Amino acid sequence: MIAYVVRRLLLAVPTLFGIALVVFLLVHLAPGSPISGGPDSVRRASGRSMEEMRRLYGLDRPLPERFLMWMGRVVRFDMGESFVDHRPVSERIREALPNTLLLNGVALLLALAFAIPLGVIAGGNPEGAFDRVSGAALFALYSLPTFWAALLAQTLFAVQLRWLPLYGVASDTAPAGPAGVFDRLSHLALPVTCLTYGTLAFVARLIRAGVAEARTSDYMLAARARGASMREALWRHAFRNALLPLITLFGLLLPALLSGSVIVERIFAWPGLGRLYFDSILSRDYPVILALSLLSAIVTLLATLASDLAAAAADPRVRDGAAS
Amino acid sequence: MFRVARLPASARVALGIVLLLWIVAACSPLFLERSRAIRLEERLRPPSADHWCGTDDLGRDLLARIIAATPISLAIGLVAAAVSLTVGFAIGATAGYFGGGVDLALSRLIEVMLCFPVLFLLLALAALLPPSPWTVIFAIGLTTWANDARYARSEIQKIRELDYARAAKVMGASTPRILVRHLLPNALAPLIVSAAFGVGWAILAEASLSFLGVGLPAPATSWGGILSAAPNSIEEAWWIALFPGLALFLTVSAYNLLAEGLRAATTEGGRKA
Repeated sequence: MIAYVVRRLLLAVPTLFGIALVVFLLVHLAPGSPISGGPDSVRRASGRSMEEMRRLYGLDRPLPERFLMWMGRVVRFDMGESFVDHRPVSERIREALPNTLLLNGVALLLALAFAIPLGVIAGGNPEGAFDRVSGAALFALYSLPTFWAALLAQTLFAVQLRWLPLYGVASDTAPAGPAGVFDRLSHLALPVTCLTYGTLAFVARLIRAGVAEARTSDYMLAARARGASMREALWRHAFRNALLPLITLFGLLLPALLSGSVIVERIFAWPGLGRLYFDSILSRDYPVILALSLLSAIVTLLATLASDLAAAAADPRVRDGAAS
Repeated sequence: MFRVARLPASARVALGIVLLLWIVAACSPLFLERSRAIRLEERLRPPSADHWCGTDDLGRDLLARIIAATPISLAIGLVAAAVSLTVGFAIGATAGYFGGGVDLALSRLIEVMLCFPVLFLLLALAALLPPSPWTVIFAIGLTTWANDARYARSEIQKIRELDYARAAKVMGASTPRILVRHLLPNALAPLIVSAAFGVGWAILAEASLSFLGVGLPAPATSWGGILSAAPNSIEEAWWIALFPGLALFLTVSAYNLLAEGLRAATTEGGRKA
């Protein structure tokens, strides 16, 4: 196990370097970027931000040297200032982060809470009535474009029925106390739903496939022979085995959620990281783009690392196999 | 390799829908003129006998616009998926075939790509490069290949150890020859499954980009582009949100359903995956 952990951690180092390189190249090789200095960037960048760029990126230096300079600042957590409002990038991220965490945290919990029982029940009786109906529904959710679902939800629940607010995090005239909490929750309902269903469908299908496969295994037969009820055998044995692929893929749910966040936060005017990223792309606010893509990739790397280690702890077959 | 008759019924229906969509795409030039006819006096009309899907904010017939956008959405999805599959297969197969240091290095590259939220990279490429259909295609192709690569890698790793691959090597076949003549044909079935999923995904990605306003430049319009106008008139014109999205949903579902059917047909005994 220790050898596996060490190997896995060592492998993360070149990945981390690769992430930094991709982020750096992404912005520095695009036309209209700080280095190309074409008419596009001249028009977009004010004198002050050009000065800022020069200071930050050492624009007169060759590319590799610039990359090293940038890396040097990154490891000191110096993200620079936003071109748009000249505030530190870290400050802007700190403002948006809680909104995104709330949205994605609730969405992830809801997705797991629905997906796991759904997957186990459907997988416990493959091709049964429940499996067929839930399978069709999950397939539809899996193929449903997030932004279309969001538009339809707005049309139906906010415009036609007027049950829920169209967008925003809270009403301008939000009352205090329990009514204020209710107001926040009603603003959360639609964006959370739109962010939840994709993950829900993905996880439920994964669990269902695992449980359906485990159902016919020897250990299930043995459990049943020992007198465990079907329900008990499903949850104690089949589900636990079906959980393994989920643990392995858990880290990769994060980037998927963040991708969804960009769309959902844009449509519902939710001031989180997804919207900050999108606005920064439109205004070519390079320090924010760099910081957000770097941070999200590093957090994902750490999460996949944690998933891999958790999977190895849970299943000896993983740590005995190839680590890559 | 695949016989249509052996596919599950759902996949045969999906195949029919995909064919139908391409027929619609082929006929779409007939609707081009109607899709561009601006009649402000008929703006934002609800669905009626004259305009089955209603009209948009410039009085253009929505159904004609959806039909006119069909070839663009389908073609961009197809080409982008092909780019993604080519890049992904080249990298994944190389990693899987050579193993060792090559595999270790290329696997890091795959891992790097998987760490980014796809939409982050997509938006950056699509918005920072000059707007054109090729930008959209390459942005999608270059950001989504990692999953194809992972898939190709594990397939080639499996096949590499089989007797015929070893026999080819013993007989002195060159590495490219083994890869292209022996390994590729045998990895083709899972690759086609991957491609079918990829097309659905790429169509969705293009629609998302165009919806967010960083996709195809005007005047080319995809379904996502039509939908980008929906939030502005969401209070009065639900049909602008509903119908183009329905076309998109139908298309993505059909490709995904087809992919699942093909996968079921290739795994032993047609086991439902």
